[in-house]
Parts: sequence; C-alpha cells; structure tokens
Amino acid sequence: MNGLRGLLAEFAAGDEVLAAARAARLAGYVALEVYSPCPVEGVAEVLAFRTRLPRVTFVAGLLGGAAIFLFQVWVHAIEWHLNIGGRRALAAPAFIVPTFEITILSAALLTAFAMLWRNGLPRLHHPLFAVPAFARASQDRFFLFIGAGDPRFHAGHVRAFLESLAPLEVHDVPR
Amino acid sequence: MAQLFRPSADRRVRLVLWGLPVGLSLVGGVGYALSRSGWSTGAGRAVEQPVPFSHEHHVGGVGLDCRYCHETAERAAFAGVPATETCMHCHAHLFPDSDLLAPVRDSWSTDRPIRWQRVHDLPDFVFFDHSIHIHAGVGCETCHGRVDRMPRIRQFADLSMKWCLECHRDPTPHLRPPDAVFVMGWRPDPDAAPVSHDVDARTSCSECHR
Amino acid sequence: MPYPTDETRWIDGDHDIASINDAIADTVQSPQHRRAWLRALAVAAVGLGALAVAVFGVFWWYIGVWGVDVPVMWGIAITNFVWWVGIAHAGTLISAILLLANQAWRRSINRFAEAMTLFAVACAAMFPLLHLGRPEFFYWLFPYPNTYGYWPQFLSPLAWDFFAVATYGTVSLVFWYIGLVPDLGTMRDRSTGLRARVYGVFALGWRGSARHWERHQTAYLMLAGLATTLVVSVHTIVSFDFAVAQLPGWHTTVFPPYFVAGAIFSGFAMVLTFLIPVRAWLGLKDFVTIRHLDHCAKLMLTAGLVVAYGYLAELFFGWYSGDPHERSLIASHLHGRSAPLFWTIIALNVVLPQSLWWRRARRHIAWLFVLSIAINLGMWLERWLIVISSLEHGLLPTTGGAYFPTFWDWLTLAGTLGFFAFFMLLFIRYVPVIAMSELRELVAHRRPEAP
Repeated sequence: MNGLRGLLAEFAAGDEVLAAARAARLAGYVALEVYSPCPVEGVAEVLAFRTRLPRVTFVAGLLGGAAIFLFQVWVHAIEWHLNIGGRRALAAPAFIVPTFEITILSAALLTAFAMLWRNGLPRLHHPLFAVPAFARASQDRFFLFIGAGDPRFHAGHVRAFLESLAPLEVHDVPR
Repeated sequence: MAQLFRPSADRRVRLVLWGLPVGLSLVGGVGYALSRSGWSTGAGRAVEQPVPFSHEHHVGGVGLDCRYCHETAERAAFAGVPATETCMHCHAHLFPDSDLLAPVRDSWSTDRPIRWQRVHDLPDFVFFDHSIHIHAGVGCETCHGRVDRMPRIRQFADLSMKWCLECHRDPTPHLRPPDAVFVMGWRPDPDAAPVSHDVDARTSCSECHR
Repeated sequence: MPYPTDETRWIDGDHDIASINDAIADTVQSPQHRRAWLRALAVAAVGLGALAVAVFGVFWWYIGVWGVDVPVMWGIAITNFVWWVGIAHAGTLISAILLLANQAWRRSINRFAEAMTLFAVACAAMFPLLHLGRPEFFYWLFPYPNTYGYWPQFLSPLAWDFFAVATYGTVSLVFWYIGLVPDLGTMRDRSTGLRARVYGVFALGWRGSARHWERHQTAYLMLAGLATTLVVSVHTIVSFDFAVAQLPGWHTTVFPPYFVAGAIFSGFAMVLTFLIPVRAWLGLKDFVTIRHLDHCAKLMLTAGLVVAYGYLAELFFGWYSGDPHERSLIASHLHGRSAPLFWTIIALNVVLPQSLWWRRARRHIAWLFVLSIAINLGMWLERWLIVISSLEHGLLPTTGGAYFPTFWDWLTLAGTLGFFAFFMLLFIRYVPVIAMSELRELVAHRRPEAP
C-alpha cells in the first residue's frame, strides 16, 4: 500500500457516473462508491445496495404504539380507574389518539436516527474531505470511488481503468 | 477542499451526542430523587416553635393522651393546637419559674395566644377532615409517627398526594381497632383474628379537591 | 424514486446543475436587499419583543389579563391557536402528500412551506400553554412519574391536543432537517471560514455517497408517509376540542374534515402571502414560477370548496337536528347578533375564492396576494365565530355573555405574528429556501453544455 485510500474519478453528469459504476462493476471491482450532489437513479442497484430502513420504521411505530396503548390501559384500567361519564375503564376508542400520535412520533424519530446511524453520521472529519475537488461532490460533480480495500486494487491499474472511462479527472485520496 | 474539522472534532461530537442523553437522564434522575426527598416535601423537617415543647417528655414520659392537648382531633376537621390554658393547667404549678416557659406565662398574662407553628400543613386546595380519619381507625402514629420519641416535633410523612392515595386505595393494612388509635407503638396481635373495617375510602377527585 | 425526466418544465430559463446552485445559494451567500432585510427584521424584532411582554403579562397576572370570563372561557387565544395550527398544514401537505403523489412542482416550494409549518406550530403551541392558567406547570401535560400519583387524563381531547401538536412539531422539525442536510453540505462546501464550519456542523459530515442517498431517500419517503397522516390528523384532533363538547356550534360531526380543509385552505393562503414577495425579493422566479402559484391557487380553491361545504353542513344539520338551541344559534348567524361576522366570513372564504376558477385570476399576482390576505383574515374570523360566538350565545337568554379581547389579547396575537415573521426572515437569510438537491435531481442526468 502506498498511503492511498483509493482513487476518485470525477464526472459531470449522473448518467456518466452511472455508466462508469456499471463498468467498474463488470471489471470486477467491489470496493465501489459513488458520490453525487443528488440521488442518481439506478446507482444503488449497480452497487447491489439495499437499505432495510423501512423495517425500522415499521417496528419502531409498532413498538411505540403498543407501548403507549398499554400504558394508557395501565393508567386508566389498572392504576386508577376514574369514573368519567360512566365510561368503561378500558375505553379503547379514547386511547386511539395518543396511540396514533406516539406511533407516528416513534416511527419518525427512529427512522431519522437510524438513517443517520447507518450512514455513520455525524462524521465531520473524513479522508475524502481532504481532496480539494471533492467539494463539488455536493454541488455539480459526480464521483466514482474505488477503494484500496478492493482485493483487485493496484494503484496503477485502477488509475488506468478509471482514465479509460473518460472522466474529467482522476484524483488520489490520501489515507 | 481542505479539511474543515480535525479528527478531534468527531470525538467532541460523540461526546456531545452521548453526553446529552446521559446528562438529561442524570438531571431527570436527580430531579426525581429531589422531588421525593424531605428537602422538597418537608418530611422529617422540624419547625422552630415559640416554646421548645417536647412530645417525647409529655407523651412518652408523662403519658399524656393525644386528646389532652389536641382536643378536637376526634370531633372536627382540625385537630386543634392547645390553648394557653391547657398548658397552664399544669404549669401554673410545675416549673412556674422556668425560663423556657416564659412565652407561655406571657401569653397567659397578656391574653394573647401562643403562635404555634403548623408542622403538618396540607395545601389549601385539599379538603381534609381529621375526625373522619380517626373514626375510620387510622392511628395517630400512622400519619404523625412516633411522637413519643420526638423531642422536637417533626413532619413525619411527605404529605404528597401519592402518599394519601396509597392508603385511600387500600386502607385496611393501615387501620387499627378503635381502642388502639391513640396508642403509640401499637402492633397488631398476630394471633387475633383480623378486624374487619367497614371503611369506604374514595379516590374520586372531588373527594379531596372540593 | 423514479421521476419523469420532463419535469424540468418546472424550472424556467436555461438552467443547469451549476446555475441552480448559484441562484439558490446566492440568496444566502451574497444576498441582495441587505438593508431592506435588516429593516424588516427590526420590525419583526419589535413584534418579538411585544410577545415577550405579552407572555410576561400572562405569567405575572395570569390569564385574568385576557378578556376571558364566564361564559366565554376561551377567547381569541384559542382562535389564534386554531388559526396558527391550520396555517402549518399547507407545508406538510406540500412536502409529504405531494411527494407521495410524485408531484415535481413541490420541489421548489417544499423547504419554504415546511419552514412556515415549523414556525406556525411554534406560534400555535404557545396559546394553549399560556391558556393553562398556570403556564409554568405546562409539563404536567406530559406523563411523568410525579408525586401526585396520577397521570394525564387520556380520555380528554385536551390531552389529545397536546400529543397531536407535540408530535406534529417534532415530526415537522425532523422532516425539515433531514431534507435540509444535503443542502447544508452544499453550503458548507461553498462557504469559507466560520460560516463553513457552522454549516459543516449542521451538515453532519454529509458526503452524498450512493449509500447515503439511498438511506436518505428511503428515510425521507418514510417520513413523508408518516407526515401525510399528520396532515389529516392534527386538525382533526384540534376539532375534537370542540366537537366532543356538547355546545351548540361545536357539537358537529362535520368538524374534523371541515377543520382539515380549513387548515389547508388557510395554509395555502399563508404560503402565497409569503411566497409572492419572497420569490421576487430573492430573485427566484425561475424556480417558483407562475405555474407554481397557479397550482397553489387550485389547491386553495379545492380546499375552499370543502370549507364551503362545511359551512352548509353546519347550517343544515343545525336546522335538521330540530334542537331549539342549535336553531337559535343558526338564526343568530343568519340574521342575528353574529350575522355581520358570518356574512363577512362567507364573502371572504366562499365568494371571493370562486374567482380562482378563472386562469387569469390564478395567474394575476396582485390579485392572488390580496386574496390570500383576505382568506387569512376570513379564516381567523371563522375561528372567532366558532370559538367565541358559540360560547357567547348561551343556552338561555340569561347565560349569554359578551367577549371583548383586551390589550393583552391583541398584544399576544401581534407578538406571534412578529415571532413568525422574525424566524421566517432569519430562515430566508441563512438557509437555502429551495431544496437545491431536489432541483438538481431534475437536471442532473444531463451533461451541462460546454460554455
């Protein structure tokens, strides 16, 4: 290893980076990542990446809703049944509103937290930020990254491969 | 772009992110403990009185009955604090020259009541009737503690609503036979058959918040 | 998520990915009209100060300073609450429902409308809290293990209200912020010095990797689905505050849909009131086109028709019930004590919006602006009619009463307007008002033409 974290090829459009990622995939590289200023349709499929966040939303909502519903049952039917207008102790229809609200709240909060957590954020310092050109990854440039962790990684070969994809430029990412 | 942040920035971010929940639960825990401690509820607190009256001496030593001084305890909403005359029944003869009793003699001669300070003071939005509790079989000791061991009277219970409710939800374990209500240190006889109390302790809001 | 590529029609002018960034980021980085902004902020700050004074007054003398008394226990504080919560709704509808419906035009206005949601919910939440009588004990609404040994009364609409508004505010904030993170990354990379570091902290180190985006877009879609339910639920629950009570004028089953439609109606009115000057001020007419305003006007008209149906249903069921108290309230609305108010509301909320059937009216900016203000006013008066006129009416001639807002009532309302304007001004100055990353997506697949 020569102190490289990987190589970064810079493109000007989403379609180009998508084609480049596909080519890299076909060439057998696996330590791939695409950086773009907006979602690029299809790139996740090329990287064979799927997120399981919807399950988090579902489970969090379910647990939150169940918890607040049971809590209300405990408060009104078990802990202290106050007779209000003759309503029964387990007045389930009246429990719907807080149950619904807490379902939404816990699902939303956990989805957001899980998204950040799985993305490894917050992470203010990252080797990529040391590449001056990377500042445009959040603006108008699209990058294909091949990491040094790839079993087939060899700086010279990878650079030549990336150059063959007709990028604007290829950058070294220092470790 | 050069690095905006050093790697140490991430350590600080992690510190804040973990510190926030930990700190908040700490604050919550301390607040919870404080709200139940005597510092907040007044349990265990003694109040400065004009006369350093000792319940330990009068109840434990002399053996006075509670009702000798708190004479409306069985009959009224307020148990009553003794009038100066009650003190003077005895202290006209016993220790008539004691410096400690000077305020009592002043009160007697100037015809102004002694300013006893209330120890067990419930909030004003609570309706509390002393007599019904006595008649239901709640011992003095249950709420006021072993006054026969208190040289200076202290608030015994925390007087929180939760404390009231504990008994109102299930009064039986806290009740005594009528002849034991005024007894200090009474213990139920384990061999005797449990007394059945016909007590209707209620927990609806307007029972106390009238 | 797939979007048809011809959605670029929602951007006027010859824009590519870089010029979109420049146009929107410049509103923050090299803003025009600095002095005018400062002057506006100063005026809003006076309003904010008025709010501080008003809140202090309520804490010091309690709600006796407001004009509320038996039988009108709920004054304009509750009118304001319902009005502000309603205004919040348009933002959530634009960002959540239109996202699920795959409407590309939402991308130009969702950030802005969501910010309005946030600040409007904050304004709204103040009123019921101050109205508690002992506002310092607001935390009693939250279920926590207290020394009283009791819990919030979950059977009460007022407790539901707390859950509804608290959830709404929190979810709106999370939704707004999650959508904002990539744009904060852009601002970080375009700024220098302290600004870059501040944006950098809030951008959380966003790098825009494919995995980031996949999770981000999934989470955003999930949040949109959750927020969609809030669009219809929050004002439904607010309406329960009234509909669950037995009072004539309150006890109506049409209230939930009628309140939700009213919320969206007034929300779009407020969006237009702010969007029309802001798009001109910030030079964003290429992104917030006349067609965007046209669409907002159409949705406003739709919501307005549901509101009109609500008025009719209220009158009809009041009459149909045969209940003399209900009927006497209707008589009062039609040709009695509350008639001037009622017919003003009909004119502002039902008659004037019918102009929006005509394309010319929908694309006439000055008319839209005037109409949006008329609807804001009309919807505020409608909440007055519901909250106050119903209470004033009374079931017997002797139980009626009159209500007049005091100086403190008006000061609180003016204060929340100042609060709202103050934070909206800060928002348009320091945060990109249009979701850049979402607009970029519309043009990103194309390679920019060489200059």
